[in-house]
Amino acid sequence: MRINSKFKFTWNGFKINKQQMRPEKVRLIHIRMTKAMCISFAFLFSQFTYAELNIFTCEPEYAALAKELAPQAKIYSATTALQDPHLVQARPSLIAKMRRADLVICAGADLEVGWLPMLQMKSANAKVRSTDKGLFFATEHIDTLDKLTQVDRSMGDVHGLGNPHLHFDPQRLLKVAQALTVKLINIDEDNASEYRQGLKSFQQRWQTSISHWQSLAEKLDGKKVIAYHSSFRYLFNWLGIEQIADLEPKPGLPPTSRHLAKLLKRATQGDIGAIIVASYQDERGANWLAERARLPILVLPMSVGGNENSTDLFELYHSVISLLNSSLASSPSLDQAQQVGAK
Amino acid sequence: MKELNPHCYSLFLATSLLLPSALAQDSSLSNPSISAVLDGYYQNTDRPLAERQAGFGLGETELALSANIDELFFGKLTTVIESHDGESEFTLEEAFIQTTALPAGFGIRAGRFLSDIGYLNNQHLHTDAFTARPAVYRAFLGGHYFDDGIRLNYLAPTDLYWSMGFEAFKGESMKAIDEHNERDFKDTGIYTLHTKIGGDIGISSSWQLGLNYLRNENGRLSPFEEEEDEHDLDVHQTHDEHSHSASYTGENTYGIDFVFKWAPKGNYKYNHLAISGEFFKVTDFVADDEHEENHDEHQNDSLAINEKDYHQGWYLSSVYQFSPNWSAGLRIGKIDTQSLHDAHFESQQLKETELSIAWHSSHFSTVRLQYTHQSTNNFDNNDAANFDSNVVTLQYVMSLGAHNAHQF
Repeated sequence: MRINSKFKFTWNGFKINKQQMRPEKVRLIHIRMTKAMCISFAFLFSQFTYAELNIFTCEPEYAALAKELAPQAKIYSATTALQDPHLVQARPSLIAKMRRADLVICAGADLEVGWLPMLQMKSANAKVRSTDKGLFFATEHIDTLDKLTQVDRSMGDVHGLGNPHLHFDPQRLLKVAQALTVKLINIDEDNASEYRQGLKSFQQRWQTSISHWQSLAEKLDGKKVIAYHSSFRYLFNWLGIEQIADLEPKPGLPPTSRHLAKLLKRATQGDIGAIIVASYQDERGANWLAERARLPILVLPMSVGGNENSTDLFELYHSVISLLNSSLASSPSLDQAQQVGAK
Repeated sequence: MKELNPHCYSLFLATSLLLPSALAQDSSLSNPSISAVLDGYYQNTDRPLAERQAGFGLGETELALSANIDELFFGKLTTVIESHDGESEFTLEEAFIQTTALPAGFGIRAGRFLSDIGYLNNQHLHTDAFTARPAVYRAFLGGHYFDDGIRLNYLAPTDLYWSMGFEAFKGESMKAIDEHNERDFKDTGIYTLHTKIGGDIGISSSWQLGLNYLRNENGRLSPFEEEEDEHDLDVHQTHDEHSHSASYTGENTYGIDFVFKWAPKGNYKYNHLAISGEFFKVTDFVADDEHEENHDEHQNDSLAINEKDYHQGWYLSSVYQFSPNWSAGLRIGKIDTQSLHDAHFESQQLKETELSIAWHSSHFSTVRLQYTHQSTNNFDNNDAANFDSNVVTLQYVMSLGAHNAHQF
């Protein structure tokens, strides 16, 4: 490592000093000064010659994915699972982190449009400005759901590029992992074999887990829920859960009382199993509706770190399916509800 | 700026014609982001140094166009149309290029742009939580200071955010008053040095602290000539508002600014708090000329009377968002300036206490009701009587088109 060579250089310089300086006190001071200089040099140069890859991710799911593929890398996530990734402050700490990043991984599809461009502008880091280099948008490597050909703000805060919350689709996430591995190899060829190894290991464990999860979630197929935003669009799509209604009147807008009243009317039909809210979403609207419609509220971790159990991607999936099972599996499906009604 | 330049106007028309077609697409690296800001208001009375006049009016109507030019440059054009006394004023607020690929954390911006001095200055007016900039900005920076020049910026590769910048500007709007148009101003009038540091405290809080220095080569007052000028001088000062010129200038300006933001668990969607404050001190405004000896007595006299040879001002602002739909802000601020009257400098103060409540139908629209209590002490002498101490403003600010990223 280059840090060591800096040390050597300075120690050689110190030896010359030692021969020239006779009095003990002066020597002691010199030793101290040289030590201090060594430390400050090492500190200074450690900033520039960091051997590890610096990875900056917009959301925690991509930090977790990067950790699977590049366990040696220094990974920082700009947001936690308790923060809404649509609304993030382009704050100084994030600018400083992006300044030193070799790779930036974000969902894309305009999810971070309100803050990522500002971070890029302010962090003055040419390496991570374009997807040709150290910028990676997950949604560019898969087919997003709900693409829109016509976008109008009267539709709410929607984006034509489709739903960006793709990390709850295991197959799509695997595709992203493959593309990310290619990117990692592109920007850090020296460690290519490690990244390939990382992907191989992840792919194996992931495939096994997918079939496990699918068998666990069997009973969830056909269940109906009310949820907040389209946060779990891919999860529901995968498991066959139907989101009957959205707590948001329009994407990005908080629940209004008029809209909630409409949902309450819908909920009385008896086929809805639960109200689902993500870990960063306000529960007040859901509480209001749950109380009146006598429905359970389920707070699902939006990402890794969203609850105690979700320590990595595998645990996140496991936790989400367990939670869904706990309150949905026994809820009436549409057929059962109709039968109850008929009786 | 004051006249409607036909070339600029046609450019504006061209960009506005572009708008519908470009809106349909998503902005990306290849497509320019186009956005417009609409700002309208009703205000019951006038405020000193402020742009909004009593009655119904339009604030800054903004049309902005930005995109990466190529791999190395980013460009932005912001045009602003303001209406004053029945006339539309067309202003080019930003027209700059910015390097995007310089190594080692360096960046260069050239053209016309907002100076990085202070906390608020480089932010666009429509993102403010109040209807007007604090008095200290209106007095010393002409509301918001943009100019033609160049900036060199450096961001240190440290965990603690640490940026440094140097700017040089033409300084047209920061020139001291020149009654007879015969003063030999320097072509490059403004130099600024600024540094900002910042970081997070835990997961919920973030902060930033800035230090600023602005050198104004043309900031000293013009040599005092004849007694009869003083009245004109005063009138000139108060009539200069709409041209975004600084009303009080000096050779050296020092500033410090801070901002602290908090949101529960760092989640800004539902609730958050922003506290910010700035302090500016403008010194060395007394004319420094070859007739100094003749006027020595005068100036010594005048300075002896109020013992202040500087202007200064500050504000402290606190804005809280209760819910995605509602936010409220409280801001207090004061300026303390010296105005030339009868060859004497007289101390004058303007103090403002402001309360604003805003309703946000979405992230893109705001309707704001603001109450301002302003108290003036000796402010611009003759006009003092004109200022009502209670100001009520009802304003809307809405943006359409591209979703522009906001600064911290």
